[in-house]
Amino acid sequence: MAISNSSREAILARIREGLRTPAPPIGDKTFYGPIFEAVGNPLERFQQECKANLMECLLTADAAGSAQALAQVLQSLPDGEVFVQDDPVLRRLITVASSQRQIRWSSQGGPLEKSQATVTLADALIAQTGSVFVSASCGGRGASVVAPTHIVYATEKQLVPDLVTALRKATADGRLERNSYACVISGSSRTADIEKILVQGAHGPMRLAVIVEIGA
Amino acid sequence: MSTNIPTPTPAGETSSALTAAQKFLRDAATKSADLVHREIIRKNMDSYDAAHNRGRARIKDWEAARRKCQEIKREAINNLDKYLLQFEKKVLERGGHVFWAANGDEACAYIKDLAVSRGVKTVVKSKSMVTEEMHLAPVLEEAGIRVWETDLGEFIVQLRNEAPYHIVTPAMHLDRNQIRDLFREKLGEDIPDADPQKLVALARRKLREAFFAAEMGISGANFLVADAGAVAITTNEGNGRLSTSLPRIHVAVTGIEKMIPRLEDLGTLWPVLATSGTGQPITTYSTLIGGPKRADEADGPEEFHVVLLDNGRSGLLANAEEREVLHCIRCGACLNICPVYRNIGGHTYNTTYPGPIGSVLTPHLRGSEFQHLSYASSLCGACTSVCPVNINLHHHLLHNRRDFTKAGGGKPGERMQFKLWRTAMLHPRLFAFGGWMMRRSLRLLYGMGLAGTALDPMRAWSRKRTPVPLPTQSFRAHWKKDLWKAGLRKKEPGRNAGGDQ
Repeated sequence: MAISNSSREAILARIREGLRTPAPPIGDKTFYGPIFEAVGNPLERFQQECKANLMECLLTADAAGSAQALAQVLQSLPDGEVFVQDDPVLRRLITVASSQRQIRWSSQGGPLEKSQATVTLADALIAQTGSVFVSASCGGRGASVVAPTHIVYATEKQLVPDLVTALRKATADGRLERNSYACVISGSSRTADIEKILVQGAHGPMRLAVIVEIGA
Repeated sequence: MSTNIPTPTPAGETSSALTAAQKFLRDAATKSADLVHREIIRKNMDSYDAAHNRGRARIKDWEAARRKCQEIKREAINNLDKYLLQFEKKVLERGGHVFWAANGDEACAYIKDLAVSRGVKTVVKSKSMVTEEMHLAPVLEEAGIRVWETDLGEFIVQLRNEAPYHIVTPAMHLDRNQIRDLFREKLGEDIPDADPQKLVALARRKLREAFFAAEMGISGANFLVADAGAVAITTNEGNGRLSTSLPRIHVAVTGIEKMIPRLEDLGTLWPVLATSGTGQPITTYSTLIGGPKRADEADGPEEFHVVLLDNGRSGLLANAEEREVLHCIRCGACLNICPVYRNIGGHTYNTTYPGPIGSVLTPHLRGSEFQHLSYASSLCGACTSVCPVNINLHHHLLHNRRDFTKAGGGKPGERMQFKLWRTAMLHPRLFAFGGWMMRRSLRLLYGMGLAGTALDPMRAWSRKRTPVPLPTQSFRAHWKKDLWKAGLRKKEPGRNAGGDQ
């Protein structure tokens, strides 16, 4: 279908004409200080915020510990296929953590509805909001939303203090130039549309577990 | 799927011969007397107030946050042409499409033609007030395309054939039992204890089928990021994620005013939007989408379309005095705090955008038929005090009133009353005489038992209330005789005794 953008120039002309009259200046000349409290200890803050976001934050000392943590989470899930981002790090981890599970790798396409869990990497962890920053390179778009459980493996080095830092870094790295999608995930899927009562697992994962390897 | 979903009646469509203003007054009277409705809203708003206060307390300097957000939006709106072109260029470079729509009809026609040409049978929609504004769902349904609202609140009001009650929580006016009854009737499954967890699980199950069947996902946009060329969408439920991940076509429909200059601006806007919208530190899924699936990506839509809707926004932009109304980030905070909204409810406004922001915006977008909404306010200023982008909402309501009256709008009797008032205020003796006449006339009228009747000039008050006790003397006389003697005048030697009453 060819796009006929016949209104484009008319809209732009109206905007330009309208902007000929400048907006009145802002009256308030008050000087304001920092908006957010500075993050002192990023790891501690990340753990606190994960708890507030109803996420699981599992700290591990090394790759063996991470594989063990992953195995424990997988063992707690019902039988069935697990979708895993096709990455050498996760291939090594999953081999140790689960030899029984049927694995669907992201190189085979997106996760299926029957997937019990998805396992992905993250681009960054954000201490200020207890968030996981993922992009399409972390197993695709569906990898963090289709299955009832999403497991993220990351290292402490990926932790940034706040959202602004994470976004500046994403701009500087050209992350959005290389990915069609990115998302800051701050907990499991939820809704409070019925009488403002919080219910987890509205459409996406009911459980979000983040394995953070210290000193990796 | 056998669920039969009716097409909702678009907000703003009046089925009777009443004017929009008459319908508003009728519905406001009915709704404000509905005690069940009032209790449901009170409970919801109390819950919101507590969360909102907690959220604000988490931010070190809330006023600094508001000021920062105001500056971001001000920069974007006052350079809108430049940022729109920057955004468009980036999207096109990634293989996306950008369509500029002058009005809702153009936008609907583009999306419908796109859907028909691609053989789309099912559409999943995440919450988008702009698609409500342009009445998209009925247009697609008429073309034989099944449309599923996937935000839980939107899904509920769609099943009820209603417009959203609130821009953030569309089904705020319903309790769990009403939703249980609705699901039993429309989805054919009963949840006797009306447990919200089970109700959500039922909706999840039904909508999962739609997500995996749909060929097209339609979303709104909370922000358009100029330097990244990305659409920013925030949802808690994840329906926005699924709608933009699973179908093979993604269409993002948005007003042109959603622009922001830089990606890092979201570092302030995302937490402020979440705090004002729901009291959360940040919404669960804060998503950025800049194009269709790339060749090296595992999944995602093959096509990405952005529809940029004007629909009156460029006209409002030309009004420098009210331009800042386009800064609105649709958090709903002004609705939640508004004493009028809390009593008359969202549907009474009969507009896509209810509450104070809707009362300011709608006359600009939909014309003078909705100018009565400029008067749907006590001008208490609560809306302005909570607006996260510092929009001077109650002053803009006054601007709208002024412009409306200047253009010849308003009731002739009211204009006459204000002329009389002005004349009296400029002539103190006339004012004093008027007060004297009024006191005597009312005393006579009330003595005859005619308070609250058509003869009573204070009828608006006294028809449902005890008449206000009439003073025996004017304020000027009271001042001279009593207050002067009490020595109050001595405490303020520089001040004049002032005019009468």
